Amino acid sequence: MPEVKLIPEKWVDRYGDYLFNFTISRVNDSIMAQDLVSETFLAGLKSAHRFKGQSTERTWLISILKRKIIDHYRKSNSKKGQAEVRMSYLDNNDQNGDWMEEQVRDLRNPNVEDEIEQKELGVALNECIAALPERYATIFVQKTIDKLDTETICKEHDITASNLWVIIHRARVQLMDCLNSKWYKKD
Amino acid sequence: MSRIFISCDEASILSTRDQYNDLSPKEKFRIKLHHGHCLGCRSFDKKSRLFSRTINSLGWVKLSKSQKNSIKKILKDAMNK
Repeated sequence: MPEVKLIPEKWVDRYGDYLFNFTISRVNDSIMAQDLVSETFLAGLKSAHRFKGQSTERTWLISILKRKIIDHYRKSNSKKGQAEVRMSYLDNNDQNGDWMEEQVRDLRNPNVEDEIEQKELGVALNECIAALPERYATIFVQKTIDKLDTETICKEHDITASNLWVIIHRARVQLMDCLNSKWYKKD
Repeated sequence: MSRIFISCDEASILSTRDQYNDLSPKEKFRIKLHHGHCLGCRSFDKKSRLFSRTINSLGWVKLSKSQKNSIKKILKDAMNK
């Protein structure tokens, strides 16, 4: 495998949307997700000298982002974070009654269940996309999610239309297998 | 005849392209003909449609232009330090 070099100038355009989507499916907060993505890029820049070029830029950035997300949850689950949560509850709901019954979401409500299921499915799909070879993942995302036209993608990657369809087909087959093992078989 | 009858490999690529509405009427006819006698490709087509529905049902989010510019600025400032 040829050695990979980092190109930080292109990180936002190349990986910004993907990392943002990856983050928002885990933290469910757009501003926090944006902060985590920019922190990831900054951490990447800071530790660029430690990048050995044995993985792709995207894989390396995702591994940094995963650590950032874990740190985010660690921080919000710390004693200080929990105290803040309790404080805000008491501030806003200083009244009598069974707050547990009032505040906890009803999981029997199909909308809530659907929402949770969609979120988990999004996480599983993001993990499956992250496991694809970089070229497959980029082309798949450009065609399927960004809905770019075939000609634009072919020009960008210098490939023919039939090559593009073979790549998308292979990516879809791998994603279907991956989702099948990660998602559908868990029931 | 080979222009009308296609192999399973060709059928699976056409099936994928069909998910993106990229087939010509001739290709649509060919794939329908193939699915008429090939159970394996018909089953793959069904799975592929389900997969497309799954992807389309997920709310994909993107960074807005201003969000991208703000991250680019932070990154540029850090690179110039």
